[in-house]
Amino acid sequence: MKRMTLTAACLAAAFGIAGCKIVKTAPADDKSPSADASGDDARIATILSDTYDAKLLPEIAAKALPPIDLKAKLAAGLDTAGGQRGAGDGAAWNFAVAGQGKVVAANLTSRARTLDVDVDGDAKSDLTVQLGPVVKGSALRDFAPALYDFTSFRDQIEFAKLGRALNDRAAGAIKLAEGDPTGKMVTFMGVIALRKATDAWLLTPTVVEVAP
Amino acid sequence: MNFKRRLLLSTFALAMAGALPSLANAADTIAIITPSHDNPFFKAEADGAAAKAKELGYETMVLVHDDDANKQSELFDSAIAAGVKAIILDNAGADASVAAVQKAKDAGIPSFLIDREITASGVAVSQIVSNNYQGAQLGAEEFVKLMGEKGDFAELLGKESDTNAGIRSKGYHDVIDQYPDMKMLAQQTANWSQTEAYTVMESMLQANPSIKGVISGNDTMAMGAYAALEAAGRTDVIVVGFDGSNDVRDSIAKGGIKATVLQPAFAQAQLAVTQADAFLKTGKTGVEEKQLMDCVLVNGDNAAKLETFALKD
Repeated sequence: MKRMTLTAACLAAAFGIAGCKIVKTAPADDKSPSADASGDDARIATILSDTYDAKLLPEIAAKALPPIDLKAKLAAGLDTAGGQRGAGDGAAWNFAVAGQGKVVAANLTSRARTLDVDVDGDAKSDLTVQLGPVVKGSALRDFAPALYDFTSFRDQIEFAKLGRALNDRAAGAIKLAEGDPTGKMVTFMGVIALRKATDAWLLTPTVVEVAP
Repeated sequence: MNFKRRLLLSTFALAMAGALPSLANAADTIAIITPSHDNPFFKAEADGAAAKAKELGYETMVLVHDDDANKQSELFDSAIAAGVKAIILDNAGADASVAAVQKAKDAGIPSFLIDREITASGVAVSQIVSNNYQGAQLGAEEFVKLMGEKGDFAELLGKESDTNAGIRSKGYHDVIDQYPDMKMLAQQTANWSQTEAYTVMESMLQANPSIKGVISGNDTMAMGAYAALEAAGRTDVIVVGFDGSNDVRDSIAKGGIKATVLQPAFAQAQLAVTQADAFLKTGKTGVEEKQLMDCVLVNGDNAAKLETFALKD
């Protein structure tokens, strides 16, 4: 039920009522999933279907910067680079990135498959694109705290399930052609989480397309 | 005994404050309630909170609930009766603690939770917890790497009433279970306890001599498990813990336990006091109730920089 409130709040935001706050309300009918862990999967599935395509992807697309631009902003300071912090002052900053680059290395044998991508033409890797099925971090969730507000979740476990579900959804949409992509061009969009401005870039992608 | 002495001290402090009205503000008291200081993690937390409270001009009333929700409830009664201005709490159970925090709120005393969550929001003013899921994933990724992505292992779970036990286990399994060649042969709770972990590890090892690794929900259990492995001549078994204690740091330096995950306990406790101070002065903290602080992997590369639950840069 609180998800419906969240949806309503987001719809309201979409219609131009700025600064609205998500407020928890008691369930109004018997159909809402159980508040304990047994209802988590049903609730998370609802959140995902309500938000992933309709809100999260457009938000990432709207805020995504080319890697070169983000690099320049980060050089001036992590706090001022326009990132979105997850829940609280101890959380990482999250940045949406979109661009193109050349695959300089591919690890397709691990369960955590990755592509190393060069975006500035120096033949060195600038970012690592995660392909799953093991996806590290919770960048997609933490990029949109207004959409996914920790306080409105029962506990870390429910909140973690959302992070995992978002990662699975993103990784599940990745289609790679057979063969070694090394040397090919790749178009990508997604979110990186940084704790320090100098951290290596690990992208949780919402788009990965390797040119044939 | 300890508790009574501290209570007496606090009462004395309050009496002093009453006698010297001009200093009344300086003697406002903040209660700091945590599990037993036998675990250095909770001691660091209490020390961090107390240091920040003193720095901001508060008296402190430091209490331990020994993970007993009934005792915690009594401590809340004492704190409320003593007229503390705020309570910093590392609680004795996610469900069982809601009532105690609500009781304080009803008495007009705000609570600021650290380390562990409660299962209700809107009762405490702040809940600042380590990002245990993120931390557990870091620990599990290191564990999987050290195991070469395959092999038999065992897991030591924390106390069931603590959300952190469940979340860490989930973080571990969300990573490890995606490696089909990693096989968990045993999984048992040792209730965060070093001595219990020693006994549990002994019996796990007897029943499953093929295990190559042990992933533990915290550092004190990791220490107990490693001691049992050492006693059995099985120092080849890879042990990974969680917390970032000095004990595990020293074990890593000696090639014993392989890795742990640092929770910024000291900083977290200090942040809670800072938010309590802001709330007492302005009526708000300026941040959301529930906050996550990221954890950091500690292994042979950076263990030397670890001291009392903080990494030196």
